[in-house]
This record gives sequence, structure tokens and C-alpha cells, in this order.
Amino acid sequence: MNAHLRRTFYFFAACFVSLVGILAYWQVYVQESLANDPSNSLQSRRVQAVPRGLILAGDGETELARSEEQDNGTYERVYPEGSPYAGITGYWSTRYGASGIEIGENNNLSGNGEPETLDELINQVSGGPQAGNDIELTLDPELQRAAYDGLAASSTGRGAAVALNPKNGEILALVSYPSYDPNNIDENFSDLIEDPDQPLYNRATQGLYPPGSTFKVITAAAALKEGVEPSDKFKDDGTYETPGYTVYNYKAKSYGEVTFQEAISKSINTIFARVAYEYVGNQTLSQTAYDFGFGDTYEDFPLPVTPSSLGDIPPEQWAQGNIAQISFGQGPVTSTVFEMAQVAGALANDGKLMDPRLVREVRSPDGVILDQPTSSVRQNALDEETANTLSDMMENAIEDEESTARIPGVKVAGKTGTAENPTGDPHSWFISFAPADDPEIAVAVMVENGNEGYKQALPIARRMMETYLKSQGELPIESTTGGGSTTPQPAQPQNGSTVPATQPAPQPQNANPSQPFRAPSQSPVRNPNQPPSQPPNQAPGQPQNPGQAPGQPPVQRPGG
Amino acid sequence: MAQRASIPMALALIITTLGFATLIFVQEAKSPPLIYGAYYAGTMVLLYLGVRVWLPHADTLLLAIVTLLTGIGLVMIYRLTYEVPGVENLATTQAIWILVGSGALMFVVLFFRNYQKLFAYKYLLALAAVVLVAMTFTPLGYEVNGARLWLKLGPVNLQPSEFARIALVVFFASYLADTRDLWAATSRSFMGVQLPALKYFGPVALVWAASLGLLVFEKDLGSSLLFFAVPLLMLYAATGRMAYVILGTLLFAVGSYATYLIFPHVQTRVSAWLDPWSDPDDTGFQITQSIFNIADGGITGAGLGEGFSQTIPEVQTDFIFSTIASELGLLGATALILAFLIFVYRGMKIALLAQDDGSKLLAFGLTAMFALQTLIIVGGVTKAIPLTGITLPFVSYGGSSVVGNFILTGLLLVVSENAGKQQPAEEDKEAGYAAEKVTA
Repeated sequence: MNAHLRRTFYFFAACFVSLVGILAYWQVYVQESLANDPSNSLQSRRVQAVPRGLILAGDGETELARSEEQDNGTYERVYPEGSPYAGITGYWSTRYGASGIEIGENNNLSGNGEPETLDELINQVSGGPQAGNDIELTLDPELQRAAYDGLAASSTGRGAAVALNPKNGEILALVSYPSYDPNNIDENFSDLIEDPDQPLYNRATQGLYPPGSTFKVITAAAALKEGVEPSDKFKDDGTYETPGYTVYNYKAKSYGEVTFQEAISKSINTIFARVAYEYVGNQTLSQTAYDFGFGDTYEDFPLPVTPSSLGDIPPEQWAQGNIAQISFGQGPVTSTVFEMAQVAGALANDGKLMDPRLVREVRSPDGVILDQPTSSVRQNALDEETANTLSDMMENAIEDEESTARIPGVKVAGKTGTAENPTGDPHSWFISFAPADDPEIAVAVMVENGNEGYKQALPIARRMMETYLKSQGELPIESTTGGGSTTPQPAQPQNGSTVPATQPAPQPQNANPSQPFRAPSQSPVRNPNQPPSQPPNQAPGQPQNPGQAPGQPPVQRPGG
Repeated sequence: MAQRASIPMALALIITTLGFATLIFVQEAKSPPLIYGAYYAGTMVLLYLGVRVWLPHADTLLLAIVTLLTGIGLVMIYRLTYEVPGVENLATTQAIWILVGSGALMFVVLFFRNYQKLFAYKYLLALAAVVLVAMTFTPLGYEVNGARLWLKLGPVNLQPSEFARIALVVFFASYLADTRDLWAATSRSFMGVQLPALKYFGPVALVWAASLGLLVFEKDLGSSLLFFAVPLLMLYAATGRMAYVILGTLLFAVGSYATYLIFPHVQTRVSAWLDPWSDPDDTGFQITQSIFNIADGGITGAGLGEGFSQTIPEVQTDFIFSTIASELGLLGATALILAFLIFVYRGMKIALLAQDDGSKLLAFGLTAMFALQTLIIVGGVTKAIPLTGITLPFVSYGGSSVVGNFILTGLLLVVSENAGKQQPAEEDKEAGYAAEKVTA
């Protein structure tokens, strides 16, 4: 009988071993595909089972995002400040993935990063819950609100604004409008993705727009480097001829003999085209733009930044017509509002471009400071002397022309832009910094299809500077600003903001800026804690072409 | 036989203590009254010492494994229920059942040392088993989740099939031992299979059919499977005829198909097994949640208290293995499976060393039942076979199951005492040495 018993035992032993094999199949072989199965909610439950860290504004008090415990023990993400900060905080969804700081700083916020304190180490080893770390941003809540309200009141209600501290690179405000409410993102996501105004899309850091005349500060910087003086005289007869392409001034104006200073004050296209071609050259112009951050992806910045671009044609192959268009920020040139704020910041900081920073401090839940990024020079865009010369020119452009950008008691340096584009009215641009002699804030504002720079973008930028300088004690609180209303006001047209009007370019394919945008993701991430199936630096539903209203054919309007 | 298992006993108790310490100090679970822990540890130690004293030749390693399994079971039940309103006292209830089971084991040890006496009452035992199961059809019985498995006797709820099957194993062991020589002496054959005279075959078939029929109508699929397979395996062990196993398997196939056609709940079970993903929110919910949780554990597990297996319905009974795989991972679950395998190995060893046919068949039958029960439920929650609701021995929550398995262990111990006593000293030593080597 013993032989039968043994045989039965071998049979049982084989069965037990097979069970281990089946377990290994589930727990190792198909483990990952099961974890990502659509009907498997375990991963999102795990994510919801621990509180994420706080996101705080720069005052250290304003809560931009926090995790609130629900009755069932899970945590829900709440954004007390809502829409004005959505472009920065982003959203956090277990169904649709995450964006903004929520994903950019996910390692800190989720508490899944390397343990930084003994407490965290113990929790991690023991498998205990790890609350996320808190993040304090550099944002100034008052300034952020001013920028948001300003854009909301603009004529088209589509635009972006970025303000930074030029001395240390801290981002003080960053707004994309229209925005969205990151609370209850799960319910609203499909509506938001369908919205023709594309609120999920961060116009400040990802939207590429022709920068128009604001780009002239880069051309001017290159010209100064090549020996052009502000007092050098140039003659303008209203046009600048290149083979196959003629540059005209705004409204076909002709200015006669003017200085280089006047050329920037009155934003004369023909003189910039001439200077760029005859004095600067392709290499210096492109290199100057790169020195100011064009082409830079700002990888270490927590929000995804689309690199600004001079177009697809390599600089050494630019024809005279190309460089003429590029010199005043049209044609193939596209930039983000974020990048133009870096340009203003570098000029304000004696030519030194600081590393843009959005995170001031990372703290463990019990208050231990884990990370405190310090300011550092990213690159030298310009030598100090040239930067100060250009800064004076921009200050004169505002002061001499009695611009509406003037703030009594403070000197402002700035440049407007009115950028032709294929989607309708020109984009309204303004970049500036103040006080001009010792800048504390640099601003770039753009209103899509807002027409002349002084009409829409400038008042928003001025209000932002006023708000910030008041809070810094640079301005009396009850300052009487000349016409300093909060809404864009119609003001008399000024010479300082001319619009380029040109003939069709020789390379019409450049008129429509090349599209550096990646295709919108079709598959939302279910679990933000796992390696997302979409790269984190890409917002879902990102539009193909900034500022282009859906359904509107991409009109090949003359770039220039 | 391994008479000494003090170190395994201590290890089992330390593992249990570590489990509770993790839950209380890391997961910040509210501590259950510590006195229950003391009762539990004290009971197991006393049990071990008692068996050492009264059954000096018995295989006490079985008790160490029982301690490990019940301890892990207590930790997991506590982990799954301490914060769930309504069932937060399940772990302490289970501890009381372990106490009762230990009492039952001691009762077997003290009063059934001459277990062969039981063989004289085999027909009575078979009748008692059938009556026990049949009682669920009286007003005393009641239904849970569509299966009529339970008896309400005063304040105590019993699942009589857990006890009936032990009685049936005793019956079959005794009957087959008495008649195994006669099974061969037969002239008739059916389809090439030699059949014994109806005189011998009759009682076996009758008891088998009666118990099986009752269980099928109770809709207790897991127990039905056990009641079918264990006698078949015992028949094979007694006669060595593969033909019986094959014939039995064919019968089983026909019977299964018939029940599949007759009972809608069997159809649901089978379709949930074949393709649970097609209906993951309803019929496939239990099994898909089980698989998701098992997969979630990975190799090292989510960590005790860090899994989400509470979403599985009936997790503390039928699906407790899913929780273990989820939170202790492939490594922990494999360790548990190996602990079960060692129990089965020791049970088989007892059967091998037993001197008489009745003892051999009894030890074999009990061990086979224990092994099959483990395989059926673990295979069920890992989707290897269709899910049938039975408990994981010693680990799952459930009073009848725990007490029944303690009785089973008690019977194995007295058989091993008998076998150990009759072993020549030398062989005993050798066997003990070999056993130690395997378990080390």
C-alpha cells in the first residue's frame, strides 16, 4: 500500500508546486498588465490612500492645493484658489493623469521619492503611509491675481502673462487665460478638452506666438554688440527692399532721418531690417537670440516649456528676406510669453539671464526643509555695458514717447509688439521691467488677437508692475497713475507701437510658424504614480496651433 | 516521528507576534485585548506540552505548523476586520474558536488514543455523518448566500459538513481496511474494469452517494468535490487500482456536467472562471478582484496592512489567501504553501509508518482531505480551477472549519503515536532524523 501512498503524495506535491507557478504567473509575469487593466482600481486607490503635499504660494500661506481626507479614508485633491493658479498647479486626476506642478514635482508631492528624513526612511522601510512633501512656490498671490484679472478683462479674453524677479529668476506670476477649475477635474475633463478656447493648454509656457516688435530688443542687442550706437542716424523712406520681398512700415509711414534710439522708440521695421542685414548678420542675430534663451527647453523648470524658435531654416542659409522678417519678430520667429519674460529679465539684470525658478522650498510634512534651490546665472545673454545701453533705450522709448506705460514715480523700460499672425487681428505684446535703474520685476504679456501692443497687453503689464512695486514699498499705495485703470483702455495711437505691414515673404511656408507641438495625447493616464504613457511635459488636449480658432482655416497671411 | 518541535513552535509564535506588532505599531491598528493573544499563545504552548507528555511518540511538528497557520490566520483576519464596523471582533472570535479546537484536539488525544475502537462503530459514524448533513434541511438549518450549509444549535452556528467528512474518512478507512482483500477477489468486470461483489461495494457506494447527493443539493460545491475525491483516493490507496480512479473521474465528469446543466449557480461559477473579465463588476467581481490583489502584491508584497483586498467579498474566509499573496507577496504566499505541503508530507509519513491498514488509510484519508481542501481553495482564488467556497484550513475565519481541522490533527497525532510506539527504536531514530532534515 505504501507505494500508492507515495505516488499520491508526489501527485499532491506536484499540485502544490504548480500553485506556486500559478502565483508567479500572476505576481510576476502578468503583474504589470494587470496593474494597468482598466477595471483595476487598486493603483489609484493606493495613490488616494496617502495625502499629497501642499502647494503654497510665495507668501507661505496661500494654499494652492491640498489633500482633504474623505469619509472613506481616501484623499481628494482640493484647489482652494481655483482657476487663477490652474496653469501652475495643474490638475491631479486618477483617471486623466496630471499636469503642472502636480506632475512636475510629483516625486516630492507624492512622498514616493527618496526618503529624506529618518522618519521617511522608517516609514518607507516599514511600508507605512508616506505623506507627500509640501512645496512653496515663488508666486506673489497679489500679482498673480492682478495678472489674471487683467487678462480676464482683455478684449479677446485669450492670453498669457509672466512676471519674474530679474535678480534671482523667481517667477512671480504666471497666468494663462482662459483657465479652468482644477477642482472636480474628473467631471469636467471631457468638456474642457472640447472647449474651443482650450483652457487646459498653458498659453504662457507652451503657446508659441510670433513675438512681433518685442523681438526688436534682441535685434537691437545684436546691433549694439556689432557697434551700432543709439545715436547713429539712419534714413527711412518707408520701405526696405530685399530680393523678392519689401519691408514696409506700419500704415506705410515714412520717418525720414532718425537715430537708432528713435527707431526702437517708434518701432520702425525698415530700419531694423536694414540694421539686421547690413550690420548684424545671420550668425550674430541667431546667436544673440539663443543667448537670450531661444531654443531652450528649460528642462529643469517644473512646467513644460516649448522652446522658442527662429524657424526651420538654419541661420547660415537665411536669405536677406528671412533676416529682414526675423529682425522684427515676424516670419519664422515664434516664442512663448515665458521666453519673452526671460528676455526682459536678462536685460533688467545687466544681461545675465537667471535660472527661472518656480519652487522656493520643499518641506517634509513635519516642516524639515528638504530643498531650497538657490538662484544662479543660467547664461550671460549680453555684456553688462551693452545691456545697460539697451535698457536705457527701452526706458527712453517709454519716457520720451509719453507712453501709457509710464508709472509716476518709477522709471519703466519696455517694448510693445503687434504681431501679425494667420488667425486674425495681431497679437498684442508688451515686455517691460521696472524700476528701470534697479529692476525688481520683469513682465511679458500677450493678448491673442488683441491688436496693437499698447491697447491690450501694455495696461495689464503696467498694472502688474504697479501692484508688485506697491507691495514692495517702491510705490506709495495711493499712487495716482495717469489713466491707470485696470481695464484696457482705448488710448490715442502712438508712434511707439507700429505694426509691420509687409509684402508676402519669399518663403511663404515660413509665414505659418512651424509647429513644435506634439500631437495631443489620446490616452489619458490612469495612474499618475506610474510612468505615464504620455510624457509629463505634455498637457493633454494640447492644441496644434496656438491662437488658432478651430474651424478657421490657417490663412497664409503675410508674415512680416 | 519528530517528538520535539520546540524551535518550530517558538518560530511560529514569533512570526505571529511580529505580524500583530506590525499592525499595531506601524498601521496604528487599535490593539485587541492583549489577553486574547496570551490565551492563544498559552493554548498552543500547552497543547504542545500536553501532546509531548501524553503522546511521547507523536509527531509534534504538526502542532508547530498548526500554530503557524492559525497565527497567520489570526493576523490576517485581524488586519482585514479591525477597522470594519460590524466585524471588528472577528479576530477575537477566531481566537476563541482556536481555543475550542484545541480543547477538541486534547479530547481526541486523551480519549481516542485507541482510535481503532472507532472502527467498530463505522456504520454508526457513517449514519451520523449523513444525518448531520441532512439536518441542514430541517428547520434548524439555514441558508447563507444561497447555500444551505448551516445549522443553528442554540447560540452556536455550525457547518456540519466540516465534521461529517471526518466521520466519513473514519468510515471509509475502516471499511476499506476490512474489505480490501476482497475487492481483488472478483470475477465480474465492466468495461474492462473488474468490479467487486456488490456485497462489498454496496455500502461504500451508498454512503458516498448519500453524502454527495446531500451536499450537491445544499449547493456546497467545495465540500462536494472533497467528499467525492477523498474516498476515491482512499480506494486507490487501498486497492492500487488506477482503473477506479479513472472510472471515478469519468463519473465525476458526467456528474459535473449534469450539475452544470441543472444548477444555474454552477453555470455562473463556471462562466466566471472561464472569463471573469467579461463581467468584472458582477459575476466576475470576486475573482477579478482576487487576481488584481494577488498581482498587486508582486514578489515581495504590498506590505502587511498596505493592500486593498478588503474589496473582495468574503475575503476573511474563502479569499484570505488572496490577502496573503497581496500583502506578503509571492515570497510570503509560497512560504505558506510550503507550510501546507510540510503538513501534508508529515501526514503521509504517518500513513507510511502506521502498521495496520486501518491506521494507514485513516492517516492517508485525513491528509488527502487536508491537501485537497488547500488545493481547491488556493486553486480557486488563483483562477486555476473554478471557485468553490471552502475554507483554507486553519487560516480562514470559521469556527466549524477550525474545530474540524483541530480534530483532524488530533486524529493524525494519535495515529502517529501508535505508529511511533510500534517502530523499532532504530528505525524510529532514522525516520526522525530524515524528517528533521527535510523540515530544517
